[in-house]
Amino acid sequence: MKKQNIEDIFSSMENFSSVPPPELWSQIEEKLDKPKKKKRAILWWSAAACLLLGLMLPTVLHFSSDAGIKTIDNSSKNNNVVLDEKNTDLNDSKTRSIEENNIQKDTIINEIKSAENAVALGNSSEKETKNISDPSKINQNQKTTVSSINTKNKSNKEGVLNGKSNLEVNKPNQAVAEKSFAPNNENGFNTASKAETLNSEKRNSNQAVAGKSLVPNNENTFNSPSKFQIPNTEKVKANQAVAEKSVVPNKINTFNSGSKNQFSNIENAKVNQAVAEKSVVPNKTNSFNSGSKNQFSNIENAKINQAVAEKSAVTNKTNTFNSGSKNQFSNIENAKTNQAVAEKSAVTNKTNTFNSGSKNQFSNIENAKANQAVAEKSVVPNKTNSINSGSENQTPSSIFEDKLNLKNENNLASNPFNSALNKDQKTNTAAKGFKNEIITNERAIADNQKSTSKFGDALSKQDSVQLAELQNLEKGIVTVTPETKKEKEDKAIAKNEKWAVEVFAGVANSENYKNDKTLGNVNDSKQSNSYGVKTKYKINKKWAVSSGVKFNELGQSIANVSYMRTTNAFLTSSDYFNQNATVATSHITNNANYIFVPTNTIMALKSDNLETGKLDQNLRYLEVPLEVSYSIFNKNKTNISLNTGGFVGKLISNDMALNGSSIGENVNANDYVYGSLLSTTVQYRIYKKTNVFVEPAMNYYINPLSEQSFNQFQWGLNFGLNVSF
Amino acid sequence: MKDDLEKYIRQCMQNEREGQLKIYQLFSPVLYGICLKYMKNEDDAKDVFQEAFIVVFQKINQFKFEGSFEGWMKRIFINKLIEALNKKKKESFFLDVFDPDTDFIEEQELDIPPIEQEKLLEYIRDLPDQYRTVFNLYVFEKMKHKEIAELLKISEGTSKSNLNRAKRILQKRILSIKNFKTA
Repeated sequence: MKKQNIEDIFSSMENFSSVPPPELWSQIEEKLDKPKKKKRAILWWSAAACLLLGLMLPTVLHFSSDAGIKTIDNSSKNNNVVLDEKNTDLNDSKTRSIEENNIQKDTIINEIKSAENAVALGNSSEKETKNISDPSKINQNQKTTVSSINTKNKSNKEGVLNGKSNLEVNKPNQAVAEKSFAPNNENGFNTASKAETLNSEKRNSNQAVAGKSLVPNNENTFNSPSKFQIPNTEKVKANQAVAEKSVVPNKINTFNSGSKNQFSNIENAKVNQAVAEKSVVPNKTNSFNSGSKNQFSNIENAKINQAVAEKSAVTNKTNTFNSGSKNQFSNIENAKTNQAVAEKSAVTNKTNTFNSGSKNQFSNIENAKANQAVAEKSVVPNKTNSINSGSENQTPSSIFEDKLNLKNENNLASNPFNSALNKDQKTNTAAKGFKNEIITNERAIADNQKSTSKFGDALSKQDSVQLAELQNLEKGIVTVTPETKKEKEDKAIAKNEKWAVEVFAGVANSENYKNDKTLGNVNDSKQSNSYGVKTKYKINKKWAVSSGVKFNELGQSIANVSYMRTTNAFLTSSDYFNQNATVATSHITNNANYIFVPTNTIMALKSDNLETGKLDQNLRYLEVPLEVSYSIFNKNKTNISLNTGGFVGKLISNDMALNGSSIGENVNANDYVYGSLLSTTVQYRIYKKTNVFVEPAMNYYINPLSEQSFNQFQWGLNFGLNVSF
Repeated sequence: MKDDLEKYIRQCMQNEREGQLKIYQLFSPVLYGICLKYMKNEDDAKDVFQEAFIVVFQKINQFKFEGSFEGWMKRIFINKLIEALNKKKKESFFLDVFDPDTDFIEEQELDIPPIEQEKLLEYIRDLPDQYRTVFNLYVFEKMKHKEIAELLKISEGTSKSNLNRAKRILQKRILSIKNFKTA
């Protein structure tokens, strides 16, 4: 017998295999099918919700007429007051400040917040009554400080420091700005900036939160619509900057425009978190760092720097440097963890020269333990891209650790100039391994540091010269990847088919599901026809809204109706009604020659003049529907969608016929009707953009008649032609 | 064979049942074997096996045909197994601290006849969760202590200690049968 150690004994187990019980496969199969079922369930629930909404909407419209309008009036009055105040501010002062949180305080929540807030106005003109430079004052009111400066004055370009400057040993500092709207013509420095925390020392936490800001400007020169700048902070435990849903449509941006969450010169910070979500920056001209987010510079000894940017779209005409960039870390020393996550960004530009659409750039990082850069789903369709366009996750001279699931799309491989210009830059191209080995290259690119640093404390002359050189070098270089072309084509197709016109006609059947009776006889169903035109607007792949005009007929027929002809009777109709007030409700036609008698009063009348016949009633409407469609199936040429919505109808024809001959109009018919509708459209593409469709539908009329029961449900089957363009 | 495998994988990517079944038939014995080695309880092994296979089919689009498909699947399985074990860890899992005095006892070479796989599997599964996981990862997945430590979020020393203790327990078990037989 051979001597062997434990590992040898168990080596035979290395490739140990055992056939799993057969029922496991069927269970797996079952579970693989499950998500679809779930989806179906969601669909049914959404359909049910749509139906409910569709039914409720007209009801609400119908019943809540006066009261609702009154409430709206009140709130709009309040708003007017606030806006008026603001307008006077705009007109009177040359150099002025706008208080945020006061602009749209139409909700109770905002009002409460503004009550708690100490709103500091940084006013550089003579009016210094509300000065914020007194730190003790701020400490007293340290709960929340909201400040922002908007300068209309050209000369005021040196900038006005915002609240919270030169503060020492403070507890939490929070700056909250919500729903701000600052429309200006010109901005000089730090305009519309929010939540700046300067020169603070030994803080426990600095939090800056801004939500939903819209800053449409004509010109911005420096740090315009920037948010959350926390420079020169020392020994800060936690710096958090959160910006959500910001829209910055500008004409000209020169530096750091649309930037968010900038941390600079921070020492010994424990946690720096910067989160920016859903930002849209459509500009005409951007020259530097436009649309950038989450920039960390000169941070020393920081433990954790996290930068998360999600769903940003940057549509520009001209971008020269670092446009649409996200999550830039530079000059960070001794940082333990730097995480940069950027998701779903689309950068559609006409001209981009350098680092456009770039994400997650790490530069000049020393002694960092772990730098993680994750970028997902980025689309960079540009006309002209010269260098590093669509680049992601650049980590020069740093320790870089890759995780599984790290995706790099739109790689740098297509860019031959990258390696030439950034020789020492290590680009992360493939990250398929379970763990990539650590790459260390300390201080190897001392010369290159300057040129690759994405931003410094300020845009130095040297930087601008280099920038200009780079721009000159890159002019005329066109690299359009096949992917971007495809993207464009797809977009073009999608764009081309946003609208559709539908012509349709069909049959409809009015039904009585509540067993309603008229004159004691049950209302029978009646067939009619309908036709119309609709336009449809596709919001996205799944959703669409449509509206149009439709002629529809709602009808009912009642058999065995008892009636009297007043021409035959010796009584006139007026005499009859005077004597029999109880049956007066049977007066349903405007024709005085006929009197309809309810079955329960026939015996009471004992008249010999009673006749029976069939009464047909038709109400023709011109309807304007408003529908929402959700596409549940779209493959090859077939498309199936669920539609729901409401409609308003105007009565255009009102006809009553007794035994086939017209006897006039129904006096109870409402001129305007409301209703809801639910339908399914099965559409098939027959030629290019032409489709045929079949549409089973259900309509519900809320109020066809005011004092008489009438068929309210209507089934319909429409056939039609749909042309999209 | 390789072309066939690629075909099946592509079928799986299209969510075709035929390809999924083929992949299952090809790899389920090995993967089920792994599950049995990691989980003490057969029911737990079945649960993780199912769950991990579903993940394989759901994420198969992420497989880029670089490297071994089996290796890729194994990684998913091992991650799932560790996840399941972590969920169960109430029994002071991974608390051991490396003690060089007791843990670095010279490993004995054993003089024993071959043991059946079923027995060996039983011995492995009888190990405490913590020791078993480290033993499996080190001996069968050929992972280094550093990697194991990262994966299990324990220290390298703990990993070494766990492996040692696992070996000692196994050694004891094997010696006990040997003695039983010889006695």
